[in-house]
Amino acid sequence: MKKIRVAVIGGGGTGAALAHDLVLRGFQCTLLERGELTSGTTGRHHGQLHCGARYAVGDARIATECMAENITLRKIAPEAIEFNGGLFLALSAEDEEYCAPFLSACEAAGIPAELLTSRRALMIEPELNPSLRFAVWIPDGTMDAWRLPLHFFATARHNGADIRSFSEVVGISIESGRASGVVVRDIRENQHYTLSADYIVNAAGVWAKEVSTLAGVDLPLRPSPGTMAAVQGRLSERVISRLRPPGDGDTVVPQRTLSIIGTTGGVSKTPEEREIPESDVDFLLSEADALIPAFSGARLHAVWSASRPLAAGGNEENDRLISRDFLCIDHEKDNGIGGFVSIVGGKATVLRAMAERVVDLICEKSGTHIPCSTKEVKLLSHRSFYA
Amino acid sequence: MKASFEIFRYRPGEKKRFDTFQIELSSHATVLDALKLIQETVDPSLIYRHSCHHGSCGTCSCIINGVERLACLTKVTELSEAVVRVEPLRRMPRIGDIAVDPSPLFLEIDPRWSYLRQSETSRLSAVKAVSVQSHDPNADHVTARHISLERVRFESCIECGSCVSACPVGEDFMGPAVLALLNRERIKRPEQAPILLKRAGGNTGVSRCERALNCSRVCPTGVNPARHIMDLRRALGRNTT
Repeated sequence: MKKIRVAVIGGGGTGAALAHDLVLRGFQCTLLERGELTSGTTGRHHGQLHCGARYAVGDARIATECMAENITLRKIAPEAIEFNGGLFLALSAEDEEYCAPFLSACEAAGIPAELLTSRRALMIEPELNPSLRFAVWIPDGTMDAWRLPLHFFATARHNGADIRSFSEVVGISIESGRASGVVVRDIRENQHYTLSADYIVNAAGVWAKEVSTLAGVDLPLRPSPGTMAAVQGRLSERVISRLRPPGDGDTVVPQRTLSIIGTTGGVSKTPEEREIPESDVDFLLSEADALIPAFSGARLHAVWSASRPLAAGGNEENDRLISRDFLCIDHEKDNGIGGFVSIVGGKATVLRAMAERVVDLICEKSGTHIPCSTKEVKLLSHRSFYA
Repeated sequence: MKASFEIFRYRPGEKKRFDTFQIELSSHATVLDALKLIQETVDPSLIYRHSCHHGSCGTCSCIINGVERLACLTKVTELSEAVVRVEPLRRMPRIGDIAVDPSPLFLEIDPRWSYLRQSETSRLSAVKAVSVQSHDPNADHVTARHISLERVRFESCIECGSCVSACPVGEDFMGPAVLALLNRERIKRPEQAPILLKRAGGNTGVSRCERALNCSRVCPTGVNPARHIMDLRRALGRNTT
């Protein structure tokens, strides 16, 4: 039987997980990425493997999903994760008041949380702000933002996926109300070609709106650029967050021998990057000092920014009020364009679940009855992508 | 600030050349920022690799004014030359322009070698924790769950290929990155040491190293491959006597 052909647009974390899931379920997959793999938002995030605690109060669905995926990713890609846990620090009376709703929301989302006295917290993390009142331990971790997706790409390629970088999708062909293929600009060979497909998945992240426009449809997406700063020295073993509703500059993620403070918020109209405001760096360093006083004194290593692709249709000006949940959009149902699906929003932690949702939809539409197995299949090493 | 770049251009089947670009940059701009700006505003056909923008992924390593560096961590203002010359890494198949295919780096790495290691800070924390404890005679015992677990971090080597490119030894050499990772694996898994040493002692192993030390000089994450090669050489010496 001829395989059903799926073209995936975008080589970020979602595209990586999509390619893996698609070939496991018997589809023929071609993935198109205009630059190097993970050269958009995916590669640049600070690497927090969420357990969902950050979103537990107020965004329960993504919190529950994060916890489930946290466990799954540790099982299928243990070598891509520094799993050392995380601490939420209570530094003020307000933080203390937030603790009760935080703990009950964690419980509701299935996130194990444990109170630590300040003394205990300082014993395991000596660089923490000594005036902390107490801390809550939760199962956060750090992922390698390049190597985790590469685990998926390596396994997908091994199973037959065709992964094409430096290949930009510049057009989507529509025939009698159905997407039938993509026009690709091969940047390396400097030529255009058309790739026919039975289904097209738009996983272009912060550029998903631009891609959907190629098919003449609009998407609910708000780019939310955020600045991050890394200093040299591993100032904590665990991810350190502030015990309060999610805000700017309230999480320190350690990674290798670096400590990263992230991120600033805000929304933007375009996915294009902007110049990083000097004030962002000062702000981040001073916020980091509230958690780990030695932070701003450490040598500044790098400052960079990435745009979160938030799923939101309105004119929300406060990005923190936009859910971190993801949306799988069936353009046949919404816009009358068959064979075209978009996936927007979400967090790097839930990349596998995002792919599962999309491939489930394609299975349903194509009458393919193969269940998802990506929760169980152990991924190949990132090194296998090249070897 | 105005900056001048000479960028290596290459396409399969075409003659290589250098293109010159004059661009306006902020004083904080890195070479990666410059490549991005050139690609976005002057020449959309420019190919280069990048991902993390903070020296963790290793994809943007290239030769900047003759030295292997990460483009994302190299500030243009820190370079003393008037023109910034950007070239692809040596000893790797070229994809196009600055981008290379890093495959040669991975061919000799056994996929079973772990990319995780014990975090040194764990030991540091333990020392500090003891001192906290000693100042406080009433300190209760820290629950085993939070400290007994070994803290892990990724290996320092980000597999960027800088050392391989800078090494003067050509063909038939496992190369500095592989030998450094092999030695790290030997330290982490002593039971595998004999097999690993045998590999390092083979024809393409440590004996090919010419001790130029370029590898350690260009390594962006302080892996010091030359020291690992020296360790291996010493261990091999012990084994043969």
